[in-house]
Amino acid sequence: MINMIASPSSFIFLLICLMVGAIGSLLLRKYDDIANKWSGIFGIIGSLWGIIFSISAITIGNNQSFTLGESGFQFLSLSFNIDALSAFFIFVISLIALFCSIYGIGYVKHFYKKYDIGALGFFYHLFLVGMLLVVSASNGIFFLIAWEIMSIASYFLVVYDRNDEQNVKAGFLYLLMTHVGTAFIISAFILLYKFTGSFDFEVIKANVGLIPLFVKDIIFVLAMIGFGTKAGIIPFHIWLPAAHPAAPSHVSGLMSGVMIKTGIYMMIRIFLEILQPVPAWWGLAVLVVGAVSALIGVLYALTEHDIKRLLAYHSIENIGIILLGLGSSLMFSSMNMPSLALLGFVATLFHTLNHATFKSLLFLSAGSVINATHTRNMEEYGGLIKYMPYTAFFFLIGSMAISALPPFNGFFSEWLTFQSLFEGIKLLDFPQKWIFISAAGSLAFTGGLALACFVKAFGSTFLARPRSEEVMHAKESSFSLKLAMGGIAVLALLFGVFSGPMISFIKKIGENLAIFKNAPALLSASTQGVGLENGTAYVSGPAFFIIFIIVAFIAVIFVKYLINKNQKIKIGATWDCGTDLTPRMEITSTGFARSIILIFKGLLKPSIQYEIDYQDSESRYLQKSMNVTLGVEDVNNSYIYKPLQKFINALSVKAKKIQGGNINAYILYIFAALIITLFLAL
Amino acid sequence: MSTIFLQFLLGVIFLTIVFLHIAKKNFGAAIAYGIQSLAVVLILVNSFLETGTISLLFIILLEFIVKVLLAPIFFIRLIKKNKLKFSVSTYLNTPLTLIVIAVLTAIVHSQKLVPLTGIIMANQELLALALSAIFLSLFLIVNRRGALSQIAGVLSFENSIVAFSVFAGLEQSAALQVGIIFDIIIWLIIAIVFASMLYKHFGSLDVTSMRHLKD
Repeated sequence: MINMIASPSSFIFLLICLMVGAIGSLLLRKYDDIANKWSGIFGIIGSLWGIIFSISAITIGNNQSFTLGESGFQFLSLSFNIDALSAFFIFVISLIALFCSIYGIGYVKHFYKKYDIGALGFFYHLFLVGMLLVVSASNGIFFLIAWEIMSIASYFLVVYDRNDEQNVKAGFLYLLMTHVGTAFIISAFILLYKFTGSFDFEVIKANVGLIPLFVKDIIFVLAMIGFGTKAGIIPFHIWLPAAHPAAPSHVSGLMSGVMIKTGIYMMIRIFLEILQPVPAWWGLAVLVVGAVSALIGVLYALTEHDIKRLLAYHSIENIGIILLGLGSSLMFSSMNMPSLALLGFVATLFHTLNHATFKSLLFLSAGSVINATHTRNMEEYGGLIKYMPYTAFFFLIGSMAISALPPFNGFFSEWLTFQSLFEGIKLLDFPQKWIFISAAGSLAFTGGLALACFVKAFGSTFLARPRSEEVMHAKESSFSLKLAMGGIAVLALLFGVFSGPMISFIKKIGENLAIFKNAPALLSASTQGVGLENGTAYVSGPAFFIIFIIVAFIAVIFVKYLINKNQKIKIGATWDCGTDLTPRMEITSTGFARSIILIFKGLLKPSIQYEIDYQDSESRYLQKSMNVTLGVEDVNNSYIYKPLQKFINALSVKAKKIQGGNINAYILYIFAALIITLFLAL
Repeated sequence: MSTIFLQFLLGVIFLTIVFLHIAKKNFGAAIAYGIQSLAVVLILVNSFLETGTISLLFIILLEFIVKVLLAPIFFIRLIKKNKLKFSVSTYLNTPLTLIVIAVLTAIVHSQKLVPLTGIIMANQELLALALSAIFLSLFLIVNRRGALSQIAGVLSFENSIVAFSVFAGLEQSAALQVGIIFDIIIWLIIAIVFASMLYKHFGSLDVTSMRHLKD
């Protein structure tokens, strides 16, 4: 039975199911509600089937290689290879898609009569199909087609809310950056083809010895930029904070939680499998990129007051954390330390899964808040816990998970990443040791800042008093929204409490890769907890859960006691001029982050603008009102992309002169080309 | 016909193109084109005398009617009808134009282009002259601002290619050559109608005055 579920035909059934969802939505586009439900139901069925299929495929552990007929083109073959690694990513995609599809049924309703619901359903399913094909394709050209399907479908989802000009701009930036990344990927594949004579991943892997070392290095750099652009690593991340917030929230959850991981998938596939053995500097480079992305990502998140942009910047941070695991794994594999490499690999995959869960949970919760308040500006929230208690609770769970607080899942994958880095510090010599120390320092610092950021996000959104009229009219999310958020929140807890079995499951995936086969066991995982065989570290999910419950219980009792105890009325001198507390006296999200921004002002380059309105414009002694705007612009934008844009614009102006509409000039070009060609050819 | 006469005919083609570069009047340009076409026709007659192909004779006749008679007549009627005045405007002045002509001719006669001009070693000198004529025709299109001069440049370009093909032994089938001549007739009619319309609209055939048609 399990073999049948994990068969190629079962995977094809999954794709067909999603395509039926896509085409059906499009055909039913005239009926908003039916199109939405059709899309949602097929999304749920497809995702459930994807979960069952992937778990079965991992359990069996066999590679499923198959080809769908003849493509008719020389280099293209519609060939698939679903091994345990592919199945793991199919599992992650399907899991998040399940909850996003449930969420979408309720969330999409506010687009009725405004936009085409059928088109949304069509591109949503096409996006899912694209991602599934990306992680299962085993031919370079087929992979690129799948990559394009994923990118184009997600572009249309980003610009779906097209009445907002910012969304259209964000979509354009996304399309531009994704194709710049694709250009690098194509270059990498062409180099692989040149030396191995094939676009088939299995053939490339078998002939990797034919690739000279310096060409491998070039391929590494090209792939790192190409896939890193999709993953959102610094400094190729600029599209991410713009595009992810622009999409409908359930799509943002998928993009931030899953799509960017397809870049990570390909990095693992190419660096840890196809191009093995790899030089040590690859691992160090990935570590440095990871450390920088994690730190810069969280710093920018702190400066944000747009809730979705804040979450998008946290995706960059978490991609950085994932790369720390991958970098250490690459480093250890290059030094022939497979057990430690497996530890880094497990940390990478576990954090990939965990980030997918808590980030989609946070995006869905943020979507509910935005839906209720009609703004993404956190400065206009406040006190939402009274109006949306369930959403607040789910957001709190997501915040705790992303801040790596036990017993939620984020803690355990970050703990594994730390162990991997600590082992490197222990065993390696200078200078590698110092890179590992810096990476561990960056991770520790990132963790602290992430916690501060989510104290800010949760506090300014849900606590204190409402800061706008909209908040006072906010209503709790509908059932399907709560069901989706609740489901992922439960998963965030379960993946933490049962981190032992989860890690054991992921370890099995790693052991299917050639470089980890027969690796001596270093990581021991059971229901009770996870530890290293050398006894240097151990952590228990269930124990943390029990402690958490006890602490939470005591805290509740204590707070209840404080509230209910007989408080005496004290009469004293007036304070605060005797005025009542108002929302204007609350600390805002910008105010909360200001001290941290000032500490990092050398890096963040904050700007302050004052707009003062005077009582008397001539004398200018008495101020009527003053607006202070604190702005932080991405330094990558200021120092890389803006100069680059300026250069390209200048080049375009020059190029325009070449094409001036003068026929004489055109004939001159032809004439010059003729003479040059003659001289070169003869 | 002797090689010297053929050389003379090619020299005529070459010189008419040089004349087109420095011509001060459109009427003179039309007549120069007629003479140039006549030289091409005579070269083709030489080819006919050598091969005796009847279809070639038909082509020569057609070519004579179209290029030597019709085209100059069309040009002259256009000039008279629209009172086209002297339009000698060029990008480079006459001395510089002559220098470029000299440089281009020198390039064609350089050792570097021997593989091309020496396709048939016996005709190397003739091929070099024909290739120079091709280059000078292209340069005529580049250098002249007037649409009429540019039309003359395109037609000279075609004449030069025919001359080069004959001496390089690259003559094509009769059907193809008839097709080419038919193309030229159509092209001539369209170019002249187009030039008339341009003149009516802009009052000039100086292509630079049509710049605002861009974008």
